[in-house]
Amino acid sequence: MAGTLSRTGAMAGRVLAQFRRDKRQFALSLVFPLIVVYFVKVLLDVLTGPFFDPTVYVVPYGAFLVHFITFLVTAIVLVSERTQGTLDRMFISGYRRLDIISGYLLAYTALSTLQSLLILVEMHWLFELDYTLAQFAAIYLIMWLLAVISLILGLLVSNFCRTVSQVIPFFPLILISMIVSGVLIPFEELPRWSQFLSYVSPLYYANEVLQELVRGGSLLDAGWIVAALPAYGVLLLALSAVTLRELD
Amino acid sequence: MTDMPAVHVHDLHKSYGPVQALKGVSLDIARGGIFGLLGPNGAGKTTFIRLLTGSSKRDAGEAAVLGLDPQGDRWALRRRIGYMPQEPALYDDLSARENLTFFVRAFNRRDLSGRVNETLAFVGLLERADDPLFKLSGGMRQRVSLACALVHQPEVLFLDEPTTGIDPRLRRTFWAHFRKLADGGCTILVSTHQMDEVVYCDRVAILQEGVLLAVDTPRGLLRRGEALIRVELDGRTETSAVHDYPHRLPALLRGHGLDPAVERIEVEEATLEQVVLAMIAEHEQQREEA
Repeated sequence: MAGTLSRTGAMAGRVLAQFRRDKRQFALSLVFPLIVVYFVKVLLDVLTGPFFDPTVYVVPYGAFLVHFITFLVTAIVLVSERTQGTLDRMFISGYRRLDIISGYLLAYTALSTLQSLLILVEMHWLFELDYTLAQFAAIYLIMWLLAVISLILGLLVSNFCRTVSQVIPFFPLILISMIVSGVLIPFEELPRWSQFLSYVSPLYYANEVLQELVRGGSLLDAGWIVAALPAYGVLLLALSAVTLRELD
Repeated sequence: MTDMPAVHVHDLHKSYGPVQALKGVSLDIARGGIFGLLGPNGAGKTTFIRLLTGSSKRDAGEAAVLGLDPQGDRWALRRRIGYMPQEPALYDDLSARENLTFFVRAFNRRDLSGRVNETLAFVGLLERADDPLFKLSGGMRQRVSLACALVHQPEVLFLDEPTTGIDPRLRRTFWAHFRKLADGGCTILVSTHQMDEVVYCDRVAILQEGVLLAVDTPRGLLRRGEALIRVELDGRTETSAVHDYPHRLPALLRGHGLDPAVERIEVEEATLEQVVLAMIAEHEQQREEA
């Protein structure tokens, strides 16, 4: 157990050291989403009318942004570890699957924590959202949970890709995930046959809770669906640990 | 216990889809010394090393490194082996020191910084230890890669074409490092496709298309080649091609009765490259005939 903790710490420390060294990538990971949020504001300003209330959409859009970027960055970084041979070298050097996954999870959670916070603060400021501190904290918790799930999803997808280009076909899946999650189209309006896809998308669960929070409800009002997010994360984590190939 | 070979493989098979990478390799490597694995690209050298480091599953056959199964006992084994891949496989945005510290921490060692400094000094990189790797030359990165493989003081070191793409002077330095490690008791298994490097090894195996063609000392390999013996007598030259000329030459000369007319004897020994290429050609011919 002590060995696992030490190796997980070493893994997370190494990834964070790379963030510190590659300040440009770190800064861009934080700044680009903020620019996208600004343009979402421009877009929603154009769409605003008597039948369109942008404040209902803003937070789920922000959540999607966190979901997409975190998934993308994690999947690409992990596949790069495979193509550069460092993943293999880690295994031969004595790192185990759990150490690698939890080390990455720790380090990228630090990045996602900051990223979700910055996006939420910017949205609050740009869209003049009138949330109580409790609402704000609950929304942040859900976005953060979604970010963690997205990075586990990135870890899982990277296990099935031998090259970075093999990650690209997974991008449309994220877009489909957005469409079926209810962020763009209400769940009830989706073709019945496609509704089961919503239950596969983590964004669906996040959106359901966020909608409740945006309307002034609490996490308790959202009911069982709040618990669905961490359960989803644990399931994905187990899947990614099982599918991380250690031997050819 | 001390008689146990560092590496023991018997009838080792490995395929990737329809490609048979290893076709029943059997081999024992004694402890200590440098063992060379020579063969052209695609001969199965990397596959062989990956099977022994527990990175690949064998399809059939037996394998043991330091008496441990590279698959089943891989976690116990990995503490005791070092591995340097063909490509450096390092983090370019981190320094040599950070790379070494990261890899050695997997073994939860005490006195990390002392061990890291000692290893950096061994490969001559102490002065550039804190520069990010992207600022170092290709040769220096290879040295960092070697340092990462030996920082935890392994008993067996697997080196997969460690000198590919580096200049001749650094190549010689690398082999001097390997010799120093072997003299210190480490067993080194080094793969190469560069024939001239065989002379640095204590024993050599020739691998071609997944088949082991020969295992011998470099000197023994040379003896397997034909030597051309030219004897000039009475103004003419008689040329004979013989195997194992140190033993065959006296008989040849006796045939001439050590004639006072013999003016000059010239022995042109086959180079190692010729010997190995002849073995490979013979293997290919046998395969085609089969």
